[in-house]
Amino acid sequence: MGKQEDFVLRVIEERDVRFVRLWFTDVIGSLKSVAIAPAELDGAFAEGIGFDGSAIEGFARVYEADMLAKPDPATFQILPWRGEGPATGRMFCDILMPDGSQSYVDPRNVLRRTLARAAERGFTFYTHPEIEFFLLESRPVGGEPPVPVDSSGYFDHTSQGQGHDFRREVITMLESMGISVEFSHHEGGPGQQEIDLRYADALTTADNIMTFRVVVKEVALSQGSYATFMPKPFTEYPGSGMHTHLSLFEGDRNAFFEAGSEYQLSKTGRAFIAGLLTHAAEITAVTNQFVNSYKRLAGGGEAPSYVCWGHNNRSALVRVPMYKPQKGNSTRVELRSIDSAANPYLAFAVMLAAGMRGIEEGYELPRGAEDDVWSLTEAERRALGIAPLPQNLYDAIAVMERSELVAETLGEHVFDYFLRNKRAEWDEYRRQVTEYERARMLPVI
Amino acid sequence: MTAPDGNPAAAPRQGRISAVGRFARLGFADASAAETGWRSVGLPDDAVLGLFAQAADPDLAVRSLVRVLEAAGPAAEELRTALTRSDGLARRLAMVLGASAALGDHLARHPEDWRELAAEDLDDTRPTAAAIAAELTAAGDPDRLRRSYRRLLLRLAARDLGGRLEVDDVAGELADLAAGALEGALRLAREDLGNAAASCRLGIVGLGKCGARELNYVSDVDVLFVAEPAPGAAEADALKAATALAAATMRICSGQTREGTLWPVDAGLRPEGDAGPLVRTLASHRAYYDRWAKTWEFQALLKARPIAGDMELATTFTDAVSPLVWSAADRAGFVADVQAMRRRVVDELPAGEAQRQLKLGPGGLRDVEFAVQLLQLVHGRADKALRVPHTLQALAALTAGGYVGRDDGTALGAAYRFLRTLEHRLQLRRLRRTHVVPSDDAALRALGRSLGFTSRPAQELVDAWQAQAREVRRLHEKLFYRPLLTAVAALPSEQARLSPEAARRRLEALGYADPAAALRHLEALTGGVSRRAAIQRALLPAMLGWFAEAPDPDAGLLGFRRLSEALGNSHGYLRMLRDEGASAQRLARLLATSRYAGDLLMRAPEATDLLARDEMLLPRDGAALAMEFEEVAGRHDDPVDAVTAVRALRRRELFRVAAGDLSGLLDVEQVGRALTGVATATVRAAFAAATAEVERQIGERLPSRLAVIGLGRLGGAELAYGSDADVLFVHEPVTGAGDQAAQDASTAVATELRRLLALPGPDPALSVDADLRPEGRQGPLVRSLSSYESYYRRWSHGWEAQALLRASPLAGDGELTGRFLRLADAVRYPAAGLAEADVAEIRRVKARVDAERLPRGADPATHVKLGRGGLADIEWTVQLLQLRFAHAVAALRTPQTLAALNAAREVGLVDEQQCTALAAAWRLASRVRNAVMLVRGRPADVLPTEPRERAAVAMLCGYRLGEAGRFGDDYLRTARHARAAVDAVFWSG
Repeated sequence: MGKQEDFVLRVIEERDVRFVRLWFTDVIGSLKSVAIAPAELDGAFAEGIGFDGSAIEGFARVYEADMLAKPDPATFQILPWRGEGPATGRMFCDILMPDGSQSYVDPRNVLRRTLARAAERGFTFYTHPEIEFFLLESRPVGGEPPVPVDSSGYFDHTSQGQGHDFRREVITMLESMGISVEFSHHEGGPGQQEIDLRYADALTTADNIMTFRVVVKEVALSQGSYATFMPKPFTEYPGSGMHTHLSLFEGDRNAFFEAGSEYQLSKTGRAFIAGLLTHAAEITAVTNQFVNSYKRLAGGGEAPSYVCWGHNNRSALVRVPMYKPQKGNSTRVELRSIDSAANPYLAFAVMLAAGMRGIEEGYELPRGAEDDVWSLTEAERRALGIAPLPQNLYDAIAVMERSELVAETLGEHVFDYFLRNKRAEWDEYRRQVTEYERARMLPVI
Repeated sequence: MTAPDGNPAAAPRQGRISAVGRFARLGFADASAAETGWRSVGLPDDAVLGLFAQAADPDLAVRSLVRVLEAAGPAAEELRTALTRSDGLARRLAMVLGASAALGDHLARHPEDWRELAAEDLDDTRPTAAAIAAELTAAGDPDRLRRSYRRLLLRLAARDLGGRLEVDDVAGELADLAAGALEGALRLAREDLGNAAASCRLGIVGLGKCGARELNYVSDVDVLFVAEPAPGAAEADALKAATALAAATMRICSGQTREGTLWPVDAGLRPEGDAGPLVRTLASHRAYYDRWAKTWEFQALLKARPIAGDMELATTFTDAVSPLVWSAADRAGFVADVQAMRRRVVDELPAGEAQRQLKLGPGGLRDVEFAVQLLQLVHGRADKALRVPHTLQALAALTAGGYVGRDDGTALGAAYRFLRTLEHRLQLRRLRRTHVVPSDDAALRALGRSLGFTSRPAQELVDAWQAQAREVRRLHEKLFYRPLLTAVAALPSEQARLSPEAARRRLEALGYADPAAALRHLEALTGGVSRRAAIQRALLPAMLGWFAEAPDPDAGLLGFRRLSEALGNSHGYLRMLRDEGASAQRLARLLATSRYAGDLLMRAPEATDLLARDEMLLPRDGAALAMEFEEVAGRHDDPVDAVTAVRALRRRELFRVAAGDLSGLLDVEQVGRALTGVATATVRAAFAAATAEVERQIGERLPSRLAVIGLGRLGGAELAYGSDADVLFVHEPVTGAGDQAAQDASTAVATELRRLLALPGPDPALSVDADLRPEGRQGPLVRSLSSYESYYRRWSHGWEAQALLRASPLAGDGELTGRFLRLADAVRYPAAGLAEADVAEIRRVKARVDAERLPRGADPATHVKLGRGGLADIEWTVQLLQLRFAHAVAALRTPQTLAALNAAREVGLVDEQQCTALAAAWRLASRVRNAVMLVRGRPADVLPTEPRERAAVAMLCGYRLGEAGRFGDDYLRTARHARAAVDAVFWSG
């Protein structure tokens, strides 16, 4: 047993930890948790904890059910909302096969594999997400419209202060778990919040996003409200995106930066963007994985619907933020389609793979879009060569289904399961009769 | 007057011709040039010449001497005088100049440096590391650093070549030189950086050969930098300064200047390799090694040693990380990592150089070092005596502790020393980093002489080298496996023995899942004083290694024990295994991979003799097989005896095919043809026996002509290990025979044939399946040709036409078979192709099959037969094309799937990409199905889920150990691509 493991065992003793939660993520991005007693930890570190994979969405099938969850001691944290003495700890797990090899069904492993491929070319992938979500007055009851906790707008300092206190507590908790917060503010819609996590390597960021969602939900519950990461809970307000800033580093050098070039963007950076654009439609089913995700993309405003890039253009799919002089290492690109309900492991994996393909194949970056693409006419967009993103989950599945890039990145098992799951979601959705249809038709037909 | 050969120096001066002759006799290759050179230097032909003649390359030595004296100008006289006065100087200079062109160059550049070799006590003086460092740190710039370094090297080379030093002392001193040079370079770097340098402490840790004090004359010097802020300095500033210092230090050593370069400094073994920061703090290093480090990184730390800069800091670093090294063997994935590392070592070998490579490759220096390190990691946790960085010392410690046999340890140590010495001499010549032994005679000769071979230097060198290589070749067997036998040996022994606990640990590290059982098997196999036990003791160390490279080492060892017991006291086979390395290796791989082949072998251990040579594992010609089978059957009157004999032959042939397949000699199509040949011969022999039996019963010749038609995979010559033989029986009454009598007799033959081949017995049964006949199981087993004709004319279903696509001759009346196949042609290649409705019907049936045939709970993605993109998908696709277009495209009229597919591509019925996708998936699925049968010994149509079985199947499909996950992923991808082609060709189009 290594020092890190020893450290965990010592902390458990010192802080009177009675339960340790082992966390992992299913293919759709739901957090799964197994609680074990500290006495079982030695075994868990050495061999992993056996569990029945068939109970987990997308895990079983290819290989039989027996799998091992092996905790990563570097991720050990005390859960702050569970209180002290006795306390509860948590660790993220890697999913292993009974022979100790990494499992192809584990989203964390999908991302690890993709990162390893980039590392072979000398790149480390960093991400920095801006996570939006809504705070509602109470847990929604089926059929009733949700009520946001306030009616403020972008950057408002709300007088009731509920959102403010809320954000403060969330940030305190996150930082106590070692997750740095860059920025937080009230977003455009009533009750809508945004919290930006500090940039970190993509695997750490994905772990942090999973933790973040739990923390936000826990804090909301403790304050008598309810938090949701649903991409578009309100027809009339903007949806919750997760704009994500991406950068590649070669050692400690930002590979996107080149002094003196346009927007200080290197050839590598330009090819990476070209990759993101070329494969944008194929990866949309992963970055925007629910029927509801496409309601956000259709809504205009900050959500992109068209495949183009621009410098500080908030309607573009990929934005190159303003370059800050003296900060060559901050050069980055922002993907704006991804929403807060994505599985961060899979989403980061396909984003990286798309960009890397651009670098490997030397894609040429098309001209940037300077206009607000929403305001252009269909014909103008066609003239400029700007294609739409898939308009709904069905279209997105159809494009992804033909994508070798996505299949290679996710691995065949996850690829297949994901498509089946999403087709089922679409089939179920198609059969729904909505409030909208009743309101439009019942009175007149 | 001519002096005796042995005393050339005493020869008086003679004429020009004889002077040249004397130089030739002295051993100069170009005597005339040497003589001219020697005369030009103005030295007498006395003892000094004798010393130069003894140099490794006397011609080179004289050439260099000429250059040195010319360069010395007016000072040359002093050197000349010194040479005539001092035997020691002359000897040392001659040896250095004759062994190293590079040091000759140095002396030609700096002639005054000859004084380095002048000290009379040089041979007996060993400089301390501190003295070396002091001399090197006194240099004021990179040029002078290089010169100082070479001066020290000059002295070292002289002592080395004079035979005053053991090879490990030379290596140790070279490491001191490297450390001193780094110290000197760091001092220069600090001066260049100025004030900022004061903000940091920087320690340099040597890794690899430099760390272990076993450096070569020229190799990369592996280092790692650790830094801390100086008191009062900010960490960020300190790290910046330290990084600049480290980079400058490396540059100063490895950069090219007027004085050339020292050696490349390699910091690539640091955390995160070249992608990581060049310098880290102590805490940052520790965090990395705690959390992220891989097994090979711990292996690198095994040799860590503080060498330069802030020694206190560097020592703190090595103290902090060294405990981690010894827990590395307990980390998850250690075994897999080690196996992967070893593969990398072997893979790096450039083809073509293998024979002349000292370092890489099996049995090379790297292999010895790696094997020793692995044993240290495995046993070093429990035994602190093994914690030494130096390869030879570690080998000695392993030997003393009984972890390696005493004789093996000594012999390997000697071989390693020899190879290292050879490497030193090789590199000294041009001070280049090379490990390839030259092949031209002159170079070999010089190299041989530098090692002290004098009478036939080139040949003696090659002989000695080959003898040592033989010693090293079975390195793993000696180091890893042979000592395991001592752990179970009951014989009293003087030597230290491997304890059972250590043996278990080692077996586990080598990949045995149940070390306790393995030890029991070893005990049973090697115990006692029988001849068998003695042979097995000789055989097992190598076998254990081969088992460990296969998917299931435990099964291999158990299988070998069972086989040994089955062979009993027939030592012949065991002796053959011992004496023919290749067959034992094949046997080991086979037993540790394939239950199917293992089971065949247990029933007939004598088939072991097939493993001796590749040719014996190639499938035999089908016609010859059939003839042999029929002959053997014909020797028995009783049909059961006849078929029992045939089935024993079949078992041997099946073993041959399986063993050839497992040895990688056959591709999946060849396996299909070979298995079809065996089945055909078997059916033919059984058909003859059944016919004879029925004729005996009815007391007359059969009143009917009878033929057996092959269908399915048998018809297509694509049989798998687990396939049934799909057949149809057709007969035609002979003229004058009654229809009923003919029908009865034919049915009796068919029934008898099936019974005989299905009888329970020790040999695998062959199930003869006639369910594809008209009306299936409801229909008569045998029909007359005219009955088939009227049936197919009136009733034929789509699936029957489909089944007939693969009809081929199998056994019985050839002329009748021909007429049956012509009849079948009309059904399977319908003259106008298929009507739309027929196509739709076939598609509908396929859709139903897809929905219903897949067993409950089976995963459609991994079912190789009925799953998506599986065999049925592909075969139906090809068959539909045949039914629709074979009337027009003659090449489509073939019972073979791939042949039909290629024909379809040639006329554009499928495009290139579709054809490739379908063929690849068909081959892979067929391969997987065969591999599953080989591994499990029972047929199954899904990718196995049990990890070892999955690993074994992956390996048989060409993947390596630990790549089972990638194999699964590749299978799914291949099947998905095939499915896309099926969608395009079968379901539409």
